[in-house]
Amino acid sequence: MAKVLIVDDSRTSRKILRGILEESGHEVIDEAVDGQDGVKKFQSLKPDIVTMDITMPVLDGMEALKMIKALNPDTKVIMVTAAGQKGKMIDCIKLGANEFLTKPFDKEEIISVINKLS
Amino acid sequence: MFDQIFGNYLVQAGKLTKEQLEEVIKYESSVRVKLGTIAVAEKLMTDKQAEEVNQLQAVMDKRFGDIAVEKGYLTDDQVGQLLKKQGNAYMIFVQTLIDHNIMTMDEVDAALKGYQETQGFAESDMGDLMSGDIERIVKLFLPANTDLHDRLCGIAIRTLIRLINSSAYVSKAFLVDQILADNFAMQAMKGDHAIVSGFAGCGNSLLAVADPFAGEEFDTVDLDALDAVGEFTNCINGLFASELSKENVDVDMLPPEFYDHPVSISGSQFCVFPIHIGSDVINFIMTIDSELTVQ
Repeated sequence: MAKVLIVDDSRTSRKILRGILEESGHEVIDEAVDGQDGVKKFQSLKPDIVTMDITMPVLDGMEALKMIKALNPDTKVIMVTAAGQKGKMIDCIKLGANEFLTKPFDKEEIISVINKLS
Repeated sequence: MFDQIFGNYLVQAGKLTKEQLEEVIKYESSVRVKLGTIAVAEKLMTDKQAEEVNQLQAVMDKRFGDIAVEKGYLTDDQVGQLLKKQGNAYMIFVQTLIDHNIMTMDEVDAALKGYQETQGFAESDMGDLMSGDIERIVKLFLPANTDLHDRLCGIAIRTLIRLINSSAYVSKAFLVDQILADNFAMQAMKGDHAIVSGFAGCGNSLLAVADPFAGEEFDTVDLDALDAVGEFTNCINGLFASELSKENVDVDMLPPEFYDHPVSISGSQFCVFPIHIGSDVINFIMTIDSELTVQ
């Protein structure tokens, strides 16, 4: 069972993701509404896994990924995106992203990715 | 989709009641088996493979048969055979009208001619409409625009049919400089193209998208409901951006924006595409390489 922090500006996506994670036995320790909120909550809650939406206001997911990896390179960060844009995915991998999830969410894919990292 | 379009035309023309249309569509859905189910019954695919393809379909803008071929589960010939077995939705619709003694074949033919004339469709267009191919159908309802408009609209409608409501259908899109809406969820993309797309509604019509996408029942089109519509728009734009990136065209998606109050959407000849979901009509708004202002 992993302690997961969900970082996504969309309430709908946070709710769907939380539902799937909790149903599969993982603990969602908190949710953050943008990258800045995510980094702040990451520092105080120290989750095992962070799911990080890429497109967010205030601080986007790639910037937040960079900051989290600088704070703790061992943290597993799963990037969440609606677009399978190769260039962006390569940039995320260079910044240390561990996995990717695509929207709309696929329950089996989420469980398989989280279980692989936890 | 043409079964819905023509069926609603028949209701408007007084040839069919709303109740009769509902009954026919319900019957049609009960006899038209999903492609995956036929493939499993024919022992061409396993349950697990069909389920995997169904799941992939939710995140890819591709048809069941195309994904199954890509995965090596079916050949093109097998997909062709399965499609034949599944039957054409429009043909089943017409057959049901006749079998249930609602209309005769001659009456259907006359009504079809009337529909063709009112809409100004050519013979070849009618062939496209009856083909059941969403891409071919959607093109007929769009103004002569650009290839990018056609592709984004095609993805939007296919995604809506797949994720929101399989009975959704469209009416003719139009170009305007201004449109008013009670609420609006939109997303901009920037990069090699400046694109804005989104859904505008009147009253609670956007709940037709928000409720099924979020899996909850909103009382009204508030910011939470619009968030769900914005996320759905994000999925459409994501698929479009992925397609463009394969052609080395880069667009970056910006966070969705929501308006839970009446707005005036203005620009230069932007596209408004009406989509019918049940008794609701919502507008898919889209502009490419042209500005859109929301006030």
